[in-house]
Amino acid sequence: MKHKTMELFVGLFVLLGIAAIAYLTMKLGSGSLLGGETYLVEARFTNAGGLNKGSSVLVAGVFVGRVEEVQIDPSDYCAIAVMRLRSSLRLPTDTMASIKTTGLIGDKYVSLSPGADETYLESGTRITMTESAVDLESLIGKMAFGSVEEKVPAGEPVP
Amino acid sequence: MTRRLLLFCVLLTAWGKNLSASTATAEKRLQVAIKNVLDIAQSAPSDSALAESIGPVLEKYLSFSAMTRRAVGPGWRQFSKGDQNEAIRLFTTLIIRTYSKKLTPGEYPVIKFKTATAPAPGRVDVPTTLLYRGSTYNVTYRMEQDEGWRVTDVVIEGVSLIANYRTQFDAQFKKGGAGAVISSLTQSVARPQ
Repeated sequence: MKHKTMELFVGLFVLLGIAAIAYLTMKLGSGSLLGGETYLVEARFTNAGGLNKGSSVLVAGVFVGRVEEVQIDPSDYCAIAVMRLRSSLRLPTDTMASIKTTGLIGDKYVSLSPGADETYLESGTRITMTESAVDLESLIGKMAFGSVEEKVPAGEPVP
Repeated sequence: MTRRLLLFCVLLTAWGKNLSASTATAEKRLQVAIKNVLDIAQSAPSDSALAESIGPVLEKYLSFSAMTRRAVGPGWRQFSKGDQNEAIRLFTTLIIRTYSKKLTPGEYPVIKFKTATAPAPGRVDVPTTLLYRGSTYNVTYRMEQDEGWRVTDVVIEGVSLIANYRTQFDAQFKKGGAGAVISSLTQSVARPQ
């Protein structure tokens, strides 16, 4: 009898653990762990550099939101990142969104640098000032090997 | 219902036409600006003469007041009117000097314009590729309607001029307010070329 009660408790404990994991997974996925009200803004980058759903959004190094979705714009093949931010954080319309890396080869995150405009970003609006992920490999390549294009003689007119 | 749909389609077409007209106007103005700058670079006899003659052209096509405000960031609202004017004056000098140092008199870069986009009303991004001294660079000009289309940011290989200065000025502002920003600008401008 005692043995059965013990098994029942263990079973209940395991179920509780599975439920907790499922709850956390759902909450993390929707960004609800941000706490309180949130709003969505989007930013357009020419190169998202591996930014993905769930990546952090920071202001002055402080976590303020998450990337909700990264899509491709089929008209010009640019990346559009949708971010969920805390409603308590009001950002000017000239806020700069930059894709940064933790360390040299670490995770990608979005760094928001607030600007000086008197108007603020509202839910569903787009951050127009962005900096895409810097392609370190191609920059190093250019520095190390130069470019294959021919030098332009002085005086040649601009097309 | 059909009428509403028709009206919506007409409005959408009109908006689209307006948008493409504004991107074309902005792009055209940028082309003129670049041509003017390159003509000066071509004919300037020396570096100092280049910096002197390029200034008025850049002031015509670049919105230095918007660029300074954006480069300073949130601290700008706490600048007095006098501090704002002084910061704009110093930042203008700094940018003109930096820009003219990148050009060599007598050398012509080749610039190719790509399709311009309008990320928001009154804003146009013009992506270009620049071939200069054997290397190709991706340069995007961000333009805004400010007494005509004027450049408010330049993004070179993904790095924004405004973001670069904002990081530095914001740190200065947090250390010592408007005085610290103006002092660092004064030092940069006073530094020998």
